Amino acid sequence: MGRLLLATSAGVLLFFWVVSALTTTRIAPDNPPALHSSPVQDHASLRPLQDRYKALSKQLSQLIPSQPYIVVDTARNRLYVKHQEKVVLDAIASTGSGVILDKPGEGNSQWVFDTPRGEFLVKTKLTNPTWIKPDWAFVEEGLAVPQNAAERAEQGVLGDYALGFGKGYFIHGTLYTRLLGKNVTHGCIRLNDSDLKGVYKLARVGTPIMIF
Amino acid sequence: MMKLCAILILFVFTTPSWGKELEAFPDLQLNDVQGLKEATRVLEEEVKLAARPQTYVLIDLVGSTIQIKGRGIGLHQIPIIRWSGESRNELKGIHKLVARPSVVRRKIDPGAAGEQEPISLADMPADYVLSCSPSMTIAVVPSTAGKTLLRSAAILGKSGWHYVQHWASSFFTDTPSTPTPHLQLTIAADHAQSLAWSLVDGMAIVIRRPTDK
Repeated sequence: MGRLLLATSAGVLLFFWVVSALTTTRIAPDNPPALHSSPVQDHASLRPLQDRYKALSKQLSQLIPSQPYIVVDTARNRLYVKHQEKVVLDAIASTGSGVILDKPGEGNSQWVFDTPRGEFLVKTKLTNPTWIKPDWAFVEEGLAVPQNAAERAEQGVLGDYALGFGKGYFIHGTLYTRLLGKNVTHGCIRLNDSDLKGVYKLARVGTPIMIF
Repeated sequence: MMKLCAILILFVFTTPSWGKELEAFPDLQLNDVQGLKEATRVLEEEVKLAARPQTYVLIDLVGSTIQIKGRGIGLHQIPIIRWSGESRNELKGIHKLVARPSVVRRKIDPGAAGEQEPISLADMPADYVLSCSPSMTIAVVPSTAGKTLLRSAAILGKSGWHYVQHWASSFFTDTPSTPTPHLQLTIAADHAQSLAWSLVDGMAIVIRRPTDK
């Protein structure tokens, strides 16, 4: 009985798949009659279309930043500074680990340590930055979150420079250079000292950062 | 005067943007009316997307590529090995990804010794379905290289299931329902994982469709 049911189900599935395959075609254009238009009609409609296409292509190319911009590939842990299509700086980075940490006393709420994807802007440029340790830095180590703000400040762990791009995320230096090229951070983007200096010099407040 | 003209001509032909404005789709034949119409439509959508601070996806079924883009710049490109899709106009326009493919994340044990293993590309799925709004599904399947029989069976099952769902829906509701626009992209397994990694919830997707000549 089971086998019969299985065979029937397989037969029905196969039937619908065959019907589906027969009715599935390549995507047709919106206006099929236009496909059979005469060469004269085609020629007449061609020029405005070409002009529109060229105008839009130009419009799109004008949206490319005229100044250097930063591209971060979080899967391969690379940071590039580009100008137009040219790579000005190519650096090995460390980006978000993607692991999670429960927020104590907040039910199912969690921190997710991803580097955010999308487009951002350099909002701040800092020299000799101080790390103000967020709550997760204490929770992760099994420590109590301090009430005194001064206990959160830590010098010398972010390198010589930091470029903030919002919501507490920075491009900064690291003491753990052996981990460059790996997804180990809490969302920030780490670089070695010389690459960080290069990025700091090339970027200005307002420089786009595209992260994927 | 001659020198000035020479300098001007040199300037015009060496300006980086000169000529590039025609290269939005290098494969496009400028005497192909239908191809031009489609390319123009896609560019109209792309200009809207590129004007805002965001990354978006361009699925180019003509050029057989998936591109992650921002401000009109191609950030990452993935070749499409094969694709199939239903004859649907609904693939037009800007679609938004409802949810990126799910991934099993490891949890940090507070205070525990040793480093937590991060997630990597290898943790990403290679075979998944992307649901978009307005209604559209994109099945990403890894190339069958090396596992032909098993993969073919899985793809067959997936296509069949999609059709059964549509048929059942129209049968039970007694209305001639329109099937959800569906696209199936076959790409290399590591590229499928890379795509899953780069996608974010709400990401915009634009599709350049081929035209019959």
